[in-house]
Amino acid sequence: MSATQTTIITYLGTPIFGICLSIAVFLLGQWLFKISHGFFLFQPLFVGMVLGIFILWLMAKAFGVDVTWFYTNAYKPGGDLLFWFLNPATIAFAVPLYKRNDIVKRFWLEIILSLVVGLFISLYLIYLIAKLFGIDNTGIASLLPQAATTAIAMPISGAIGGNPAVTAMACILNAVIIYALATFLIKIFRLKEPIGQGLGLGTAGHAVGSAKAIQLGSVPGAMASIAFVLISIVVDLVVPTFANLLGIMH
Amino acid sequence: MADKSNDTQAEKKDAPILIQMGIFAAILFVSSLISPWLAAVLPKFPVPTPVIGLIILYLLLTLHIVKLEWVDKFATFMIGFIAFLFVPSGVQLTASLDIMKAQGLQLVTVIIISTVILLVVIAYTTSLFIWIKKNVFHGDVTVHE
Repeated sequence: MSATQTTIITYLGTPIFGICLSIAVFLLGQWLFKISHGFFLFQPLFVGMVLGIFILWLMAKAFGVDVTWFYTNAYKPGGDLLFWFLNPATIAFAVPLYKRNDIVKRFWLEIILSLVVGLFISLYLIYLIAKLFGIDNTGIASLLPQAATTAIAMPISGAIGGNPAVTAMACILNAVIIYALATFLIKIFRLKEPIGQGLGLGTAGHAVGSAKAIQLGSVPGAMASIAFVLISIVVDLVVPTFANLLGIMH
Repeated sequence: MADKSNDTQAEKKDAPILIQMGIFAAILFVSSLISPWLAAVLPKFPVPTPVIGLIILYLLLTLHIVKLEWVDKFATFMIGFIAFLFVPSGVQLTASLDIMKAQGLQLVTVIIISTVILLVVIAYTTSLFIWIKKNVFHGDVTVHE
């Protein structure tokens, strides 16, 4: 290990650097989002991701060390600490689901059938398109779990031979695209059924999709929260089976 | 009727935040015990620990073992800043910059198309099942705002 690397570990090796950098880039994202009146590319999480990567890359270049090494030793200790809190945050989605138990109880069969059948069709189309673009099996395995929320999609991606980092990027981009195009897509594809709008937005856009669906009405809003929670469980059951069937999983 | 019971629950006092955190911690601990056990029994189906926790909390709420006011405040707080918690997941792409150099453009293109596919296919599939419920089984499909 070089002297620079030892110095970096001494000064930046504690979790606080990663925590401070994460807070800083996210706050900057929130500020940009606010002053640009909600420009879709300035969503705080997207800005945070791009800026965080850029700053780490720049610092690694400035210190003359490998980018992956710098990420693992300087950012990851703090990043992992924050990441852990996604565990209780994911469990917390049981609460909005319970609050709309009335709709869950009336439409549970239609909701589950739609999510399972819709997901199977979507997975097959995603698989075909990925093949068409010449993406390898690791890439395909990383893209299949993207309908689930990031915290759940990442371990599934790892388990079926994908790259969890690519999966996380896919989930974040889903939200960016839905935020930008939801209204336009609903119009050109004539998605009029409120329950369908909600389930589609919650699946394709995760938490951001749910927020978008609430703007359309309380039924799409409630349905999106339900989809956002249930699709993760459906993905958990369907995606490994699907990957097995296509022989992507090693 | 369901709304009424929710209203009365909302009027009840929230449990102290440390108790709410304790409930979450206990559920997470039990889930972390179940998760490796499930992995051994069903090796082909990865069930992440938080999914097990989500199901446990939902069941506890539905069976009225845990009351809404015991977990509501902490849950709302956690959901409120979930976007921030995803920053490290996005930033971890730093360690995979070579994949992005090799296949980044294709991956991003397929992700954009996938998002549209998920939205449209799920929405149409739902319309079909709602249509079947209404026209084949003559079920009530009206929903109230």
